[in-house]
Amino acid sequence: MKRAHLLGLGFMTPALFIIVFLFLAPVVLTMMFSFTNMSSGTGISSGGAYEVTERTIRLLKDQGFPETTADRLAEDTYKIDVAGLAAVQADFGKAFAQEIEAELSGKTFAGRRDLERELKRLKERPRSTRDLKKAADLFKRSILNTRFETEQAFLASVDELDLGLGKTETAELTRTAYTGWVWTTENYSLIASLPSTLRAAGNTLIYVSFTLAFSIGFGLFLAVTTFYLPSGVATTFRTIWFLPRILPPVIYVMMWKWMAWDTGFLSSFLAHFGVPPRNWMLHSDINAWVVVVLINGFVGASLGMILFSSAIKAIPETMLHASEVDGANRLQQIRYIIMPQLRWPILFTTAYQTLSLLTSFDYIYLSTDGGPGKATEVWALYTFHTALNNYGGVLQYGLGAALAMVLVVIGIAAALIYLRLFNFDDLVAKPRIEQ
Amino acid sequence: MRPNFRIWPILVLLSILSLPLVLMYFYLVVDTVTDTTAGSLLPDRFTLEHWKFLFEKPESGRASIWPVTANTFLFASATSLIVVMVSLTAGYALSRLNMPFRKFFLGGILTLHAFPTVTLIIAIFLMLQMSGLYNTLIGVILVKTALELPLGIWIMKGFYDTVPWEIEMAGITDGASRFTVWWKLVLPQVQPGIAALALFSFLEAWKEFILPQVLAPSGASQVLATYLQNTIMDDRKPDFNLFKSIGLFYALPVILIYVVFNRKLMNIYGGGTKG
Amino acid sequence: MSILVSKLRQSTAAAVLALTTAAFAGDALAKDLTITVWAGGSNDSDVYRLDAIEMAADILSREYAIRGEELNISVEKKRDFAGWDEFRQAVTLAAEAGSAPNIVVTSHLDIAPWSQSGLIVPVEDYVDMDTWPINNIYENLLDITTYNGVVYGLPQDAESRPFFFWRDTMKKIGYTDEEIDALPAKVEAGEYTLQNVLEDAKKAVDMEIVEEGYGFYPRVSNGPDYAQFYQSFGGELMDKETGKLVLDKQAMTDFYQFFVDAVEAKVTRKNHIGTEWDQWYAEVASGKAALWHGGTWHYARYTGKEGLDDFFGNIQFTLIPAGNENGQANTITHPLAYLLTKQDNEDDIEIAAQLIKIASEPRINTLHAIKSAHLGIAREQSNIELYANDRWAAEATRRLLPYANSQPNNPNYGKFSEIMFKGLETAWTGTKSPADAVAEVEAEMTAVLGDDLIVR
Repeated sequence: MKRAHLLGLGFMTPALFIIVFLFLAPVVLTMMFSFTNMSSGTGISSGGAYEVTERTIRLLKDQGFPETTADRLAEDTYKIDVAGLAAVQADFGKAFAQEIEAELSGKTFAGRRDLERELKRLKERPRSTRDLKKAADLFKRSILNTRFETEQAFLASVDELDLGLGKTETAELTRTAYTGWVWTTENYSLIASLPSTLRAAGNTLIYVSFTLAFSIGFGLFLAVTTFYLPSGVATTFRTIWFLPRILPPVIYVMMWKWMAWDTGFLSSFLAHFGVPPRNWMLHSDINAWVVVVLINGFVGASLGMILFSSAIKAIPETMLHASEVDGANRLQQIRYIIMPQLRWPILFTTAYQTLSLLTSFDYIYLSTDGGPGKATEVWALYTFHTALNNYGGVLQYGLGAALAMVLVVIGIAAALIYLRLFNFDDLVAKPRIEQ
Repeated sequence: MRPNFRIWPILVLLSILSLPLVLMYFYLVVDTVTDTTAGSLLPDRFTLEHWKFLFEKPESGRASIWPVTANTFLFASATSLIVVMVSLTAGYALSRLNMPFRKFFLGGILTLHAFPTVTLIIAIFLMLQMSGLYNTLIGVILVKTALELPLGIWIMKGFYDTVPWEIEMAGITDGASRFTVWWKLVLPQVQPGIAALALFSFLEAWKEFILPQVLAPSGASQVLATYLQNTIMDDRKPDFNLFKSIGLFYALPVILIYVVFNRKLMNIYGGGTKG
Repeated sequence: MSILVSKLRQSTAAAVLALTTAAFAGDALAKDLTITVWAGGSNDSDVYRLDAIEMAADILSREYAIRGEELNISVEKKRDFAGWDEFRQAVTLAAEAGSAPNIVVTSHLDIAPWSQSGLIVPVEDYVDMDTWPINNIYENLLDITTYNGVVYGLPQDAESRPFFFWRDTMKKIGYTDEEIDALPAKVEAGEYTLQNVLEDAKKAVDMEIVEEGYGFYPRVSNGPDYAQFYQSFGGELMDKETGKLVLDKQAMTDFYQFFVDAVEAKVTRKNHIGTEWDQWYAEVASGKAALWHGGTWHYARYTGKEGLDDFFGNIQFTLIPAGNENGQANTITHPLAYLLTKQDNEDDIEIAAQLIKIASEPRINTLHAIKSAHLGIAREQSNIELYANDRWAAEATRRLLPYANSQPNNPNYGKFSEIMFKGLETAWTGTKSPADAVAEVEAEMTAVLGDDLIVR
């Protein structure tokens, strides 16, 4: 390999490292997650455990597991037997073991608490609560509510119960007792069948198209009008309209809330005209959409304005002068001279913003949070809510990942189309220095 | 400007359309030092009450504003620094160096630029967790850097593209290595790009809300965005005057940067036209 | 950069420290440790949820000192989360990353999913449940923090969610003082129902005593409160036999219909959900709303920040009235609990367990109960003057708690409640009719909850 190759790859390494670590690996992981039922109930990385609880017993019975066997599993038995005594002697000394043997030998307890109460009466008992519990656990002869980290340990303990389980029953028991996640394609069928995903898709369409139309249209309007103003005034307006782009979203949305809430500025102002106060952000679906589109649209228009302005500035003065000499009015000038120059920037902004609108949800999350109802819940926000952020606190990572994958696929497809659209090959002119 | 156009209709129209924003900005500043009687539109008393949060000991279980501010600065500057450093080398490699997979890299970076990163956040969380960076500022810095990197590299490549080949040719003819040429001759040429990218990434990180909220929730690594949002969402915290004071405090660096470095910033915000 | 490095060094140091403490565990030398406590949904009057742990740490280290061991506990407290959503997100992810706070103060509803994933460990494995003060805690509260027969947490407070009437408005629409005083009994007996609520609210609006939309002024966000209305119409949340969640379509439709009726009668605003809490509190505490519902802890806010001096002279409170003949008056109690998270070092869990046990001391808990107007958790609190002399605590306990039930500890209940509320919102805001909303809820619940749901 040539030295320049090495230098080039060397120069790329830090970027590649970060990109592989925080872009590519997450995409692969997300794809994997989307085929699991991971949730806050199953955990992600810890791997599941095996535990028989009251709930497991109920589920087993529902599935037609032999009733009597299920009831045996549901027992919580502590038995003072030889094995237990030996274990106590090993862990807590001979005196304690002998005292237990003398007082409680052969007895059986239903539940640890009863046994603990007995042990607490003994003189030689360990004086720490935790040790006492450990000692009591040495007599446990059932598996209810015990968490086994591995399948072998679980099966070994099940074997000790001597339930006489067949192969299928053992498998069924293991599967039901397992607390971790399993592979599944259910997420995708859920996405296809849930009414709320359909709604989210519709919302996303509304959101992207309206916001985009507003950003481009209004951005153009700002760029063109400020172009015709004296530079001082133009700068003032550009500053006003540029700030939404650089102000932190939390502040920007807070100002909107101040404007739109029941007790906010708009309500107070309109009260002078007899309009009853209302929450202009959440009063109805329409209100919410107007606010969501405006909040995002102002930011989009900021970006559009800057891009279009610099493109207009690039138009040679002579062309404009010539048109004026020919008697063109302002609209004609815009129509025939400025607009053709803006075709490329408009195309670019449309392409760029479609994707970023599709996947960003910050402003909606901070303002309506998808409300009222699910009226403004777009796909990306729906994904976030499902996977990470909901009142119920059940975070469905698997379903969320599947929802995210839909966006990933759309993103990659769109990016590939854009690469063609923007003549990618022109951008990769060969380096001229060859070594 | 041009004789056969009248300016005032535009001026009036623009002023009306800008009114909501102007009002928001105006009250953002004024409300921090005044009180307004409920239902009234105009403030009627001067007060410094709303700025008390800067000096008071925070309530039990809440973060204090100063460490939070320090975190935010650290977060934004570190992100900016890393983005610039990494983009400087990668941008040069993509612009000038001949290497295998060059076309693939370029296409890849353009694709990433348009990628739904925030939706990958569960997986990103897992990557941070595995590397022990979850709930640390460093983790959030890295993730934010990764988010800004495609654009950063692309922009730096744009700046390198404008450097005349002759400069490098001359250096090489004099017997310098490609590395030396880059370090000594090319870098000074792209200084405006470095400044612009540094400011841009600083602002982007300063604004960021969702990443710190999800990836570093503990008190020790809070930033101003989450601090402000938590105050707004607390149902027993009083009023917009306080939110605005915190908000203005939080926005000050942004405004300052905008005022001082206006032109430099436009290099990036306005320069996206070329792709 | 240097700060960055020092932060990095700090975290490495912490890791090394954690390793060494683990290695030397059981050593009788001085032991320093940090116990982290996070509390969800806690505002300024709830600081004792966190401070109690700090007080307990002081007592515990004194106990250790007397036994000749040196134990220095520093308590790291945090409660500034934007909301429950963000709190649960933070706890879950932190636990997943192995850096969960030692103690969390959260809803008992989190016990089911979190115990399944092993995020929390049973408190009964670490403390003696037969000793003070746990043996003084009300059994029914301990039942609520029990899941699958295992006690996972200690109740941190109790509360209940009553219905409120603004006395003055009630008088103006024709009630006498005696009739208002008799309301609690009438509600309890099912003689005053939600239909009467609508009528009275409508009267108040029609007579222009309150503004449109202020006749009946419900909670502004999702919460257990709405499950009460489902119960008012005969809905059952969990089937006792099978432990499965129940979607009672009739009750659900009636429940949605009630709110739609309220909007149509102009006694409740269509856009009510999402109203700012600040505004909401100010309005109900000043008589701007005629009838509303809330929580026992609202008392602290009404009489505190909102400056309502004479609570009992201005406000009457009752159970949530029955909706129709299918249901009955009810109220839900939704205790928060101290839960212990799984840690690598079991000694830390044990110390955390001892801390929450001491924090449940009646005297310490009373500080929280009275400051935040919650109800006590232990019998002996009625022998503590601060508690006994508080009229609100005494009356609310007597009038509400005996009828209070709780939401089921079921790992899927969070999803259930989420879907139920979203359905209510779509009906309420007029996006769908109640019947259509219930149909969507049914489709969604059947898909998401599967076997864990019974549809009636």
